[in-house]
Amino acid sequence: MDINFTKEDIAFRDEVRDWLNNGGYPKHVKEKTDKGITISKQDQIDFHKALAEKGWMGYNWPVEHGGTGWSATQLYIFNKEFGLAGCPPLLAFGVSMVAPVIWTFGNDEQKAKYLPDILNFNTWWCQGYSEPGSGSDLASLKTKAVLENDHYIVNGSKTWTTLAQHADWIFCLVRTDSSGIKQEGISFLLIDMNTPGIEVKPIITIDGEHEVNSVFFTDVKVPVKNLIGEEGKGWTYAKFLLAHERFGIASVGASMRQLNKLKKIVSELDNPELDKKICELEVSLSALEITELRLLSALENGGHPGAESSILKIKGTEMQQNISQLYVEAAGEYAIMYPGPHGYSSNDKPAGPDYAANSLSAFLNLRKTSIYGGSNEIQKNIISKFVLGV
Amino acid sequence: MNLNYSEEQVMLREQIQKFCESEYDFYTREKIVKSSDDFDSNVWKLFAEQGWLSMAFSEENGGLGFGAVELAVLFEEFGKALVIEPYLATVVLSGTLLDKSNYSKKSDLIEKICSGDMHISLAYAEANKNYDYLNSDTTLDNNILNGTKTLVLNGGNSDKVIVTCIKDKKLTLVIIDSNTKGVSINSFKTIDDQSCAEISFENVEIDNDAIIACDLEAIELINESINLATLCVSAEAVGCMESCYLKTVEYTKGREQFGQPISNFQVLQHRMVDMFVESELAKSLLFKAMLEVDSNSEDKYKHVSALKSQIGRSGKLSAQDAVQLHGGMGVSEEMMIGHYLKKMVSIDALFGNSDYHLKKFAS
Repeated sequence: MDINFTKEDIAFRDEVRDWLNNGGYPKHVKEKTDKGITISKQDQIDFHKALAEKGWMGYNWPVEHGGTGWSATQLYIFNKEFGLAGCPPLLAFGVSMVAPVIWTFGNDEQKAKYLPDILNFNTWWCQGYSEPGSGSDLASLKTKAVLENDHYIVNGSKTWTTLAQHADWIFCLVRTDSSGIKQEGISFLLIDMNTPGIEVKPIITIDGEHEVNSVFFTDVKVPVKNLIGEEGKGWTYAKFLLAHERFGIASVGASMRQLNKLKKIVSELDNPELDKKICELEVSLSALEITELRLLSALENGGHPGAESSILKIKGTEMQQNISQLYVEAAGEYAIMYPGPHGYSSNDKPAGPDYAANSLSAFLNLRKTSIYGGSNEIQKNIISKFVLGV
Repeated sequence: MNLNYSEEQVMLREQIQKFCESEYDFYTREKIVKSSDDFDSNVWKLFAEQGWLSMAFSEENGGLGFGAVELAVLFEEFGKALVIEPYLATVVLSGTLLDKSNYSKKSDLIEKICSGDMHISLAYAEANKNYDYLNSDTTLDNNILNGTKTLVLNGGNSDKVIVTCIKDKKLTLVIIDSNTKGVSINSFKTIDDQSCAEISFENVEIDNDAIIACDLEAIELINESINLATLCVSAEAVGCMESCYLKTVEYTKGREQFGQPISNFQVLQHRMVDMFVESELAKSLLFKAMLEVDSNSEDKYKHVSALKSQIGRSGKLSAQDAVQLHGGMGVSEEMMIGHYLKKMVSIDALFGNSDYHLKKFAS
């Protein structure tokens, strides 16, 4: 047993670090994220384009499709270093959600049409999964696609669609058959967001942000060639996709960065209760990190860690939430002040610590993490069913 | 022993509930929040007409002479409806302080508070004082006031401000008009849709008769006022906790996934039972604290601290669970449930958080 990374892995880590620290990570984006300011659509594009230029956009892609072909360990290191550097989370919808579905189940024409644009971040994707009546029970979805000649006519609505207001494309689970069991009538469609009949309505969250949306489809005409794989097999593709979504779900790097910043803040407060809580979180974070490494090691040695990765989702999101909670506690009385997600403008900033407004923003925003991507309750069901076998 | 509310207290609760249901539903509240004003002055007028603005004051000063129990009832109901009007700032923090003081001009001020014609804020906090409200860098020398106060609740809307300051090394309370020369007020929104201000005083001239109290008297007035306010926000939290579990039970009964209401799932049932139990326990500590304050016992500070410490933790947890069980709807601004979480964060932060009050309780 050896808990250390190999020389090659360490060289790789240094290469990632070098890129992040020496101009790769766009400066104007870094300045905003370091201050906790919400970044714009253009900032997101600049950040992802920089990554594409470096040849790292396909970080979890095989070489044959233009990806890096990195090992699971390299992928882990890459993700952790990006988190430690405070980068915004990479937008997963194109590169690590729809792309693997396209290269695995799509035809050659689809691969040629969509993959290069994803790899160069020329297209912004969003995910059309959840519906008002279908959250945890995703397979009950009702958005309907009816085949008429060479088009599907799509009617229905999707909800909690992250950044749909910026998206060029949406990959959708739609119902093409209601006759059999609910999982069997689902198909996987790619829909151009500019198609007539699509309406995006913002959902404002409790942190005041516009991050998620409702997307309504009224008689939206989608060419048959936008169907991925076979009609009725969408659920299989969706499950395949969810396995890819696990990448980086523990957010260990990002949590380490947040916890280190918090330690500095709290070290000046003379607050033993808070000191103790931080120590407890440090221990938990270490446990989370090593758990992720153990799963990684199993994967590198030919294993198939399956449902165990739900531990990472549960504990990773709890960790993020708990750290944000301590930031709020560190803000003390100033936790009552909240300027909204964009902070105070420089000329009217009140007294109180600089981190107070961002702390609240993060605390409120991170409530979603234990709800999305399969709520933590669903993750526990997965563990009890597939790991404990009960 | 009798731990039941009196008939009058039950009637008061029903009266407030009726008002909140008919005049202050969440939709109405949202309209007020999104308006350019920090609160609705018509609602404030209604409070005056109902007698709620007078209930906390002694009869000799024109009030109804109600005690801490009635105030707690009011705040519990305000908590359920997430009322944003500045009752805490004007009536509890400032009004009851004046009521208990020996300030010569207090009856006129209290009369105006009762009629809804005056707002007064208490400027008790300063930056980096860590909840030590008796410690102030604001000075009163030769009737000249200098200093900066922070987190002054409703400070941007008040006609007058009561300021804690140091005169001859002793804590002193002065009251001044907000529009006095040298007073500058910068108002901010709070996380729970209320407002607070940073107020600075630059060579502000104070009249001799502006001094409310000095030294031990001032200390006692501040301690009592903050303690009563702490009790009130804790009662507000208890109201929020009750709403959190009730609304969550209602939501999970109506929300169907996997072909059945999600309330059928035992794991969610137990979470809601925990929320209910925590709500009941908080209510018990509220009973103890409000009765101790009502009887003006020696232990009144201690028991308010016990309550505040408990609701700081369990209130936030309950609201977090409520959000979680509402799923995506829980983090959506258009649902009421997420706003309870913001309220609980705000309440924990005010007047000393959970850790602070646990320490205070122990000492």
